[in-house]
Amino acid sequence: MADVTSSPAISGPGLGEKTLDLLLSGRGIWPAVPSIIVLVVVAVIPFILLLSLGFSDIEVARGEIVSQTFSLNHLTNALSDSLYWTTFKRSLSLALSTTALCLLFGYPVAYLFAVGGRWTRRVILILTIAPLLTSGIVRTYAWLVILGGRGVVNWAFLKLGIVDSPLRIMNTHWAVLIGMVQIHLPVMILPLVAVMSRHDNRLIEASENLGASRLGTLRTIIFPMSAPGIGTGAALVFTLSYTTFVVPQLLGGGNYLNAATMIYEQVVFSLEWSKGSVTSLLLMVTCLAVLVMISLATNYFTGWTKGRDA
Amino acid sequence: MMQNAADNAATLSQAAPVLRIGAVDKYFGATQVLQNCTLDVGDGEIVTLLGPSGCGKTTLLRCIAGFWDADAGRIEIDGQDMTPVPVNRRPVGVVFQSYALFPHLTVARNVGYALRMRGTPASEIEARVTEALRTVSLEGFESRYPAQLSGGQQQRVAIARVLVMQPRVLLLDEPFNALDAKLRSTMQVELRQLIKQLGITSIFVTHDQEEALTMSDRIAVMRGGRIEQAATPDEIFDRPVSSYVADFVGTSNFWDAQAEAGQVTLPDGQSVETGLSGKVRVMSRPHNLRLAPEEQGPWRGVVLFQRHIGPLIEYHVEMPDGATIKVAAIRQDRVRPVRDRAAVSIGIIDSAQVSVFAD
Repeated sequence: MADVTSSPAISGPGLGEKTLDLLLSGRGIWPAVPSIIVLVVVAVIPFILLLSLGFSDIEVARGEIVSQTFSLNHLTNALSDSLYWTTFKRSLSLALSTTALCLLFGYPVAYLFAVGGRWTRRVILILTIAPLLTSGIVRTYAWLVILGGRGVVNWAFLKLGIVDSPLRIMNTHWAVLIGMVQIHLPVMILPLVAVMSRHDNRLIEASENLGASRLGTLRTIIFPMSAPGIGTGAALVFTLSYTTFVVPQLLGGGNYLNAATMIYEQVVFSLEWSKGSVTSLLLMVTCLAVLVMISLATNYFTGWTKGRDA
Repeated sequence: MMQNAADNAATLSQAAPVLRIGAVDKYFGATQVLQNCTLDVGDGEIVTLLGPSGCGKTTLLRCIAGFWDADAGRIEIDGQDMTPVPVNRRPVGVVFQSYALFPHLTVARNVGYALRMRGTPASEIEARVTEALRTVSLEGFESRYPAQLSGGQQQRVAIARVLVMQPRVLLLDEPFNALDAKLRSTMQVELRQLIKQLGITSIFVTHDQEEALTMSDRIAVMRGGRIEQAATPDEIFDRPVSSYVADFVGTSNFWDAQAEAGQVTLPDGQSVETGLSGKVRVMSRPHNLRLAPEEQGPWRGVVLFQRHIGPLIEYHVEMPDGATIKVAAIRQDRVRPVRDRAAVSIGIIDSAQVSVFAD
């Protein structure tokens, strides 16, 4: 301690020390300042640049931007292009069905976690988290092996005589959906587990004592009380699957167009940066719109948590 | 004629208890947590299961409610064996220790829950919820959430929630634990009056002997999974069957003595009859002892400490062998102030009120 205070660089009430003190004091907004700076540099500034690309006509000559004028052309072109509408509809339905299926498959797992013993909980947690330790790309590639023409599924179907010739699963909407659900399932399960494992078992006992059947308890007590977890899980899964690029690109076989792969093509292949910028903006706005709806619905169903301090 | 019929009904209900617990055993793995528990509870009777934590009182309560199955013995309600009856079909209402109110439902929906689960028509539910809330004096709280209520109000909602389904047996698991001391004693008296007025057969679980003495028609003192003594509060207090019961309920003084020829000589010179022989333990309540100047008796000690408990003074008297004997006196009966470190002798007021135990 004595060494530090006697060090000439830090001694004296310099401006640097004051700033450092404020940052570390834990008061007000100051401790958040470093991350705010990072956010501005890596998110806000690029976003403004992106917008400026989308809302201007640019003339390029010999690799240099020679003129840039404000214009809504890219946006109006996009909105009048039927390809945009079908692509966004496909993205939306893919993301919504992924969210619904993740909830359908994830909820029983989270319920099992909530009512299970120590070992059940451990196994579920390991099985849920382990896939997150490998990259999404690797997990997506694994589906190629499983769903391919000579993959595990077709091999089993042929052996069992369910089909005569290999089913075409790869490079279809179904392959994309299966992959999406598997990749995003942990993101649904974890918030559900977080909410449901806090449940007081006595509430379930009370409900049974008051005459509710197992199903009645699930419908009237367990399900409504897990609404905050459902809301969080749905918001996360929707955001991730609505904007995902890897799964549709790999399992859709390169011609499956959703909003993200569309942006990729516009930016990387056809070099239409302005178009790509507008598509990105549309993706973001629509995503936010759905998130707001999810959040409103969650608030409606979790009104009871608000009155806690009243 | 009417009188006769009523009398008959009364004797009948006395003959057939509402709740019969017959030789119930329960194991957790190799550990036996309930051992041959037998108890009959009459119509409208309030019985308390009293004992320290781990004595099996909550286990027995949970077996009655059906959350756990007994490993041996049977539990009957109105003569019907409850063993094959699942939790949600038993005519039993449970008030949980922390009330277990549904946090996402309003007071009205909490109270109406049992009726909705039974498919009662909405109009009837509303009427019965209103009535139940009036019974516990919580009118006007229908649309509040449990988190917006005080501890005492939450407890009343929990009680209204089970009353609304008109259970045959009411089970209360340490219902006053979450309340502060002052509210606790008020609620104890209120709840006893309410249950008595409604005439519901009830089982209370508590580790608090004062609560048991306040609330109960009968107390079943439990020890290590067995019911040690089941009797009225008076009997438990004045004629405990074992030193364990005497020690658990009320304040008590113990000392060792020798029984010879059916007699135990008490330290102040009196003697008391007993059926035991050899080494015995003698117990006297502090209020059955009195202090006298040292020269007046042979049972002598030194006043260590005086404790003022409302209208009582409790003297802690240190005996030559190091044991402490507690003597209680009513404040206005005190002839003159006793100084600390004063040498005194102790006398037994009524030797018939002294208990002699084998252990």
